[in-house]
Amino acid sequence: MLNKFLSRGSLAIALIVGVSTSAHAILPIEKLDSFKGAQAYLVQTKALPMVDIEISIDAGDRYDLGVKSGLATMAGRLMNYGAKSDQGLLNEAQIADEIADLGANLGISVGGERAVMRIRTLSRKDLRDRAVQLASAMLSAPTYDAKVLAREKQRMTTALLESETKPESVLERRFRKSVYGNYPLANSPTVKSIANIGATDLQQFHKQFYRGDRMIISIVGDVSKAEAAEIVQGLLQRVPQSGSPVAKLPEFERSPVEPLSQREVVIPFDSQQAHIAMGMTAINRNNPDFFPLLVGNYILGGGGFVSRLMSEVREKRGLAYSVFSYFAPGKDAGIFQAGVQTKNDQATLALEVMSSTIAQFIADGPTQAELDAAKANLINGYPLRIDNNRKLLDNVSSIAWNNLPLDTMEVWTKQVEVVNLEQVKAAFQKYLAMDRMKIVVLGAKNK
Amino acid sequence: MRSTLFSFSLYLVLSCSAALAAPEVGQANTHEFQLSNGLKLIVREDHRAPTVAHMVWYRAGSIDEVNGKTGVAHVLEHMMFKGTHKVQSGEFSRLVAAVGGRENAFTSRDYTAYFQQVEKSKLDEVMRLEADRMSNLNFDDAEFLKEIQVVMEERRLRTEDNPSSLLNEALTATAYMSSPYRYPVVGWMNDLINMKAIDARDWYRSWYKPNNATVVIAGDVDPQAILRAVEKYYGVASAKELPERKPQIEPVQKGTKRVQVKAPADSAQLAMAWKVPKLEVGRLDDNEPYALELLSAVLDGYDNARLNRTLVKQERVVNDVGVGYDMISRGPELFFISSSMAKGKTVEQAEKSIRKALKEVVDKGILESELKRVKVRILSDQIYKRDSIFGQAMEIGSTEMAGFSWKDIDVMLEKMQTITPAQVQAVAKKYLVDEGLTIAVLDPQARQSGESKQGGNRDAK
Repeated sequence: MLNKFLSRGSLAIALIVGVSTSAHAILPIEKLDSFKGAQAYLVQTKALPMVDIEISIDAGDRYDLGVKSGLATMAGRLMNYGAKSDQGLLNEAQIADEIADLGANLGISVGGERAVMRIRTLSRKDLRDRAVQLASAMLSAPTYDAKVLAREKQRMTTALLESETKPESVLERRFRKSVYGNYPLANSPTVKSIANIGATDLQQFHKQFYRGDRMIISIVGDVSKAEAAEIVQGLLQRVPQSGSPVAKLPEFERSPVEPLSQREVVIPFDSQQAHIAMGMTAINRNNPDFFPLLVGNYILGGGGFVSRLMSEVREKRGLAYSVFSYFAPGKDAGIFQAGVQTKNDQATLALEVMSSTIAQFIADGPTQAELDAAKANLINGYPLRIDNNRKLLDNVSSIAWNNLPLDTMEVWTKQVEVVNLEQVKAAFQKYLAMDRMKIVVLGAKNK
Repeated sequence: MRSTLFSFSLYLVLSCSAALAAPEVGQANTHEFQLSNGLKLIVREDHRAPTVAHMVWYRAGSIDEVNGKTGVAHVLEHMMFKGTHKVQSGEFSRLVAAVGGRENAFTSRDYTAYFQQVEKSKLDEVMRLEADRMSNLNFDDAEFLKEIQVVMEERRLRTEDNPSSLLNEALTATAYMSSPYRYPVVGWMNDLINMKAIDARDWYRSWYKPNNATVVIAGDVDPQAILRAVEKYYGVASAKELPERKPQIEPVQKGTKRVQVKAPADSAQLAMAWKVPKLEVGRLDDNEPYALELLSAVLDGYDNARLNRTLVKQERVVNDVGVGYDMISRGPELFFISSSMAKGKTVEQAEKSIRKALKEVVDKGILESELKRVKVRILSDQIYKRDSIFGQAMEIGSTEMAGFSWKDIDVMLEKMQTITPAQVQAVAKKYLVDEGLTIAVLDPQARQSGESKQGGNRDAK
């Protein structure tokens, strides 16, 4: 029920998607034979009779054309709502009933870079096979029925209009526009762009992007290597290996130095709290400076209740419930973002405190004590990053998607261990600069 | 609103003997102890990974609050990080962070809980800290004055600027006449404005006692070693008589209640909530709560469940619909259906469609195949849930707080599998009636927003 739980801090704040390693035996990632051009990886865990399967497809929102923004999301989500299988046409009701009857979970989400299908099923062969068959039909032959499309367009439009009344959604959309600039992730769906999407667009998009050479499969759970190979082949049996070339995306350009008036956007909004976002372009996940930035951001705004931002904004001044910073490094584009919400008449103060805290950190870096504490947390806390199948899947998926070495989990703590003060300071100064930070303030800032 | 299966999985995690091959779980992996000061300890062994979840649950939530001091349970939760006689304010979090721990706390209507997740060799350190603040909390007034501001920001973030929360708050406060379940967990804003440090201290002195606490530890641990550590750290706390808890039985509702909320939003929302029974301690064989859980799953437990199928997909009268019911709680339960309108549809149309869907269940019952489907999902969720050590500790703790034993969980699961379509039909007929119904409507108001008025963020760039 709503309002049932209140938590002391926001657990949901995204840290850098990291992977980790240990003093204990780390389960190895096994590389499976690629099939239809798709890479595939497995971690075997035997304790529970279940398996998690993820298919990442290089078909995220960045491939939307602005005039049809929302297309990639819809092409992914509507796979659930009708597909052609070996047994004939399955409508949305049949698909949903089959998933439920199997006791399986199947979800599709579409992010900026990739579309992701995740399946959780019991590992018993007959149940697992049926789940794989179902997913295979969706991946290879979604029907994109016109009636379903019309309904889902309407639902998406309604949800969009609702989100325009929500401060956090309006802020996020405007911030993306600022920080991504000419990169297509600056686009957000609009009423008009959703209206422009037709069934043919979905078919074409699916045909161009949902193919073996744009897919990566990650499997974690109670299956052998041979069984995992069967899963991969089952999933991709009717997926084409390749297709027509995909146009190159524009370069992701670094946020330029600009006067404040050009970097800052103020959106008048009659919410009780002002919502503030600040950030700029940063690094990709495979950047060698990933670890200095990971450790540094833990100190600045990532480390739960002990970060500098938390201390300055919340603990010392009581200005906000939630304040944070993070790097969101993707495969091809990554950003740094910080945020806070506070009642309107404190917005100016909160922004000042947040800005000066970040500026000081970029200028001076952390203290040795802070660095030691951050490394201790990240290293000692490593086992918590890989202690169940779900978390292992997150790790394998990140390693595979970002082309990281397969021993990433094994060497992770060592890479944290070697980070020193100079590296943190140098990395922050290399990638971040206050005169490049985009700022969005929503609310009544100067009330 | 989350689907009903979620609430199932919270409570029914253990082994199942039925159709699906369940791994051996069971009571051998779980150990219960009681210290002489009244503290209960439950240890769940799970050796899959070298980590452990350590939780302490206090049976004190907003249900124990009195008018004028609503929100105090949650405020105290915040103050628990503000120092003890030995540990300075903020030091708790720093020490937990130093050992690589993840930590937080949460307050509900029924309880307040604190937790740390650590690599197993670090358990001793966090247990020492947690036990210390059970007896030695010591914060000054200045810390309180800052933190109460943080809590008010939390209320602004979660409730004041969130129309769904405002609607839910109004619904709850209307449906319950006398039960403290009518209070929002975060508290009314005016009560927060007028709250004093002494209110939080009084709360702490009343409820934070070993005889009102359950420690739950799940993970890669040895139960006997855990018992020794818990005796060492928590054993020093002294038991104290708890304040009397009045029953505050909610009077029987005698007719439909309606409430309207005007708030900035685009779509109207409709929430309908019926007074229904919950599972009572000592009456695990009562069919009705299980039948209500299954009814909620048949209505909303999967993508093609009745309400989503008819209201969202076929009639297209609502954009989203959700059903909520928790059979396990300390206070009186509601069975509620929430929805947001599809474009151009009215709450009257949605209400009519919801009533039609319910009438269908009442008149014609449900299919054996539907019931089987939601039961299968409950069984597979028992296995999936075990992937999370933290989830297992959560499930044990929340069940215990409602007055049940973790041992009852198996019994409940077995009972759930015996429920028939006729029993599901019977609870729909008996309880989803107008006498016990409360209806809340969100009447959307335009936002005063610069950008969206210009339509700037609606156009493609």
